[in-house]
Formats: sequence, C-alpha cells, structure tokens
Amino acid sequence: MSFYDYAYLTSNDAMQFVKATGVTLYITLMSLFFGTVLGVLLGLVRCSKNRVVRTLPLLVIEPLRNSPLVTQLFLIYYGLPMVSRIMLDPYPAAILALSLNTAAFMGVLVHNSVSAVPDGQWEAGLALGHSRVSTFCHVIARQALRLLVPQAITLYISQLQCSSLVALISIMDLTKLGQNLALRTLRPFLVYGIVFLIYYVISSPLAALARRLEKKLAFHY
Amino acid sequence: MAMIEVKNVTKSFGTLTVLKNFSVDFTQEGVTVLLGPSGTGKSTLLRCINGLETIGEGDILVNGRSVKEKKNLREIRLDCGMVFQRTVLFPHLNVMRNLTMSPMKLLKTPQAEAEEKARFYLDKVGLLSKEKSMHNELSGGEQQRIAIARALMMNPKALLLDEITSALDPEMTSEVLKILENLAAEGVCMLCVTHEMQFARHVASRILFMDKGSLVADAGGEEFFSTIRKENERISKFLHFIGE
Repeated sequence: MSFYDYAYLTSNDAMQFVKATGVTLYITLMSLFFGTVLGVLLGLVRCSKNRVVRTLPLLVIEPLRNSPLVTQLFLIYYGLPMVSRIMLDPYPAAILALSLNTAAFMGVLVHNSVSAVPDGQWEAGLALGHSRVSTFCHVIARQALRLLVPQAITLYISQLQCSSLVALISIMDLTKLGQNLALRTLRPFLVYGIVFLIYYVISSPLAALARRLEKKLAFHY
Repeated sequence: MAMIEVKNVTKSFGTLTVLKNFSVDFTQEGVTVLLGPSGTGKSTLLRCINGLETIGEGDILVNGRSVKEKKNLREIRLDCGMVFQRTVLFPHLNVMRNLTMSPMKLLKTPQAEAEEKARFYLDKVGLLSKEKSMHNELSGGEQQRIAIARALMMNPKALLLDEITSALDPEMTSEVLKILENLAAEGVCMLCVTHEMQFARHVASRILFMDKGSLVADAGGEEFFSTIRKENERISKFLHFIGE
C-alpha cells in the first residue's frame, strides 16, 4: 500500500468516519445501558428462592441467547410491523435488539456470579441478623461483583463488535460506512483496515480495564 | 424461665427424619454441650434454633418468639449468635470490617464505637494485632476465633457453636477451646456441638446426648461422665469409641 492509496479517501471521508464512530458508540452505549439494567433485573429474579419466580426470566433469556442477534434484529425491524402496528425506525430497532440480547447474556452472568458465592456466606450473613436483602447488599453483591465485572466487560466488548450488524438495517455505523467507502474507492483493505483499527482502539482499553479490575477485585476464599 | 424452648420438633430432609418429636429447654446460663454420633441431628437442631432450617412439626421459641414466624427471625438471630463448622469470614472485608460491619448496619452502632468494641473482642480472642488482616492471611484457628469475636459483637444472649473445631488441627483446636473456656468462665451462655470430650468435661454445665434424632440423656457435666455413661450402654459405647 502506498501513500497514493490514502488519496482515495477525502477529508470529507475522515469526517464520515468520525460520525460513524459516533453512531457506533451511541448505539452500543445505549443498548449496553438498557441491556445492563434489564439484565441485572433478570439475573436477580433468577436468584429468587421461589422456583416459579426464578423460572420466569428464562422465558426471555433462553430464546434470546439461543438465536442469532441478526435474526432478532430482523424480527424487530422487519417482522414486528407485519404482526402489529409497531414500526420502529432503524435506530430504536437496533437499540432494542441489542439491548434485549445484552440483557439475556447479562442476566446469565449475574445469576452465575451470585450463585458462585458459597452458600456459607449467605448463612453467615443471616446468622448475624441480616435480612436476605441486607445479606445480599453487604455480603453477597461485592463478592459476586468480583466475578461479574470482568465477564461483563468482555460481554460489552463483544456487543460493541456485534453492533456492526446494524449496518444490515441501513444504519450508517462504522461497518456500513466501510462498505460504502470500499465500494466507492475499490480499496477494501485500506478502508476495512481503518474500520478495524477504530474498533480495536475502542475495544482494547476495555479489555485492559477488565484485566485490571479482575486483579483489583480479587480475593481468595 | 427457658430462653430456648424446643417443642416436639420434627425435621426431615426428604424421606430422612433428622429430629423426631424432639423437645428440650435451654436456660440462659452455662455451657450446654450436645454430644452424639454424626448424623443424629445436633447441627440441625442448632440450625433450626437459628432459623436457618425450617421445621416441619412442632415449634421452637426463643425468648418467647417462634422461629416459624419470619418477622421474628432477626431478633432470634440477634439473641443467638452462631459460629459454623467451616469458617465463614467475609473474604472481601478485613478482620476489623468483618467485626464492625453488622453492628454498624444492623444495630446502628457508630463506627468509632464499633471499632473500639471490635478491639476489645479481638483482644479477648488474642488477635488484636490482626485487625487489618484479610481472612486468607489467617490460620484456620485464627479465623474461628475471629468468627467467635464477630458473633459476640452483636451482643447475643447465647452462642450457638456448631462443631467449630472439627476442621482444625489439634494445635488450632486447643487455641479455640481455650477462648471458649475463657468465655465460659466469664459467664457467656453457649450451646455447642462438639466431639471434644476434654472440653465437655471441663466446661459443660449440662450435656445432652442425642442419637437418631432423639434425646437419649440430659444430665449435668459431672453426672454425665460419672453416672450416666455407666448406666447407658449406647453412651458408654459412643464414649469408648471416641477414646474417652
């Protein structure tokens, strides 16, 4: 690749990259926020002592984590208007699909992290006079967080990458912009190389943060 | 008046009945030792008193409050501090926070007061120098001594001790038993499940012998080891088997 190749990209394209990065970050952050809130709720309900109550979140979690995200995205964007009056624009459809998908995986992570705390910790808290809620807040949550945080960050990185699927419903995110520019310039290596680097620059600090938090939160039973 | 009244309690795990129509009273004085072979319901009895296990039939009253009523559990657990066989210090907190967290959250004790009290009890269990240690920096015996101090921080009227030395080596066991002997001498009321016969001999004011979920003998410490063991073949066999 020579300097000549870069000349295929104009300063306007550079602005397009900045904008598309913003779109990718916006969709990712919104869906991670809603997905995390819903996922934590689903995960906590999964930890209920009542068998019926703790089974309910599975009705949401299982279909979502056992089907491809792209199918969920198409179902919401193309499918919903066929069976209801709900016709979502690409952005809300993308955020909804990614949020639900994130929530399903986050729900599993929360449940697994809480379940991994030894039963003796619950009993020790209860035996001291704490209620179940108080034991959860003061004893269990912090220990579950140690397991949850690094895994959640890995999920976030994965969802950032999955956000590239929104290109399939015409959202001008990084991947969609890459497609358009590659077609126009006929320099796919150059264009996708830049797209690759931008994803990498966003993701790698998160991966480093996950490793750091894992060490910081570590303790031994 | 009895502090703990166990009334015709039956407790089963599936098809296995661990406590059979079991009744006994405990007053708030001295050290009561629960003896008996493994699997006879001793630990289950303590867990039922503390409300960690639900009971099938019968009832347990602690200071007149039924363990069957959920709303009573907090008060019951504050009255009956419990220390477990396997040490369960909170691994994310250092020793000081392990001791002060519950009084501060539940009894609303101010931090400075809680820390002062924690130092008092740490001194009592001989671990004042370990206040900043994490649990993995402590030996098993030290962890159990911290767990005893943590239970005492809640001002319990009685301590329920569930085989707290069974996972410790002889040296650590003697460390923990010494602390219990000191507490007993200070008049702390204890209800303990143990296989430590020397401890039972020296400290127990009352001994209950359980077998297959039923109470076989209920006697004073000296009486148990002198008279009862000779009269009761099952007890004699048990004590002989564990080298007494």
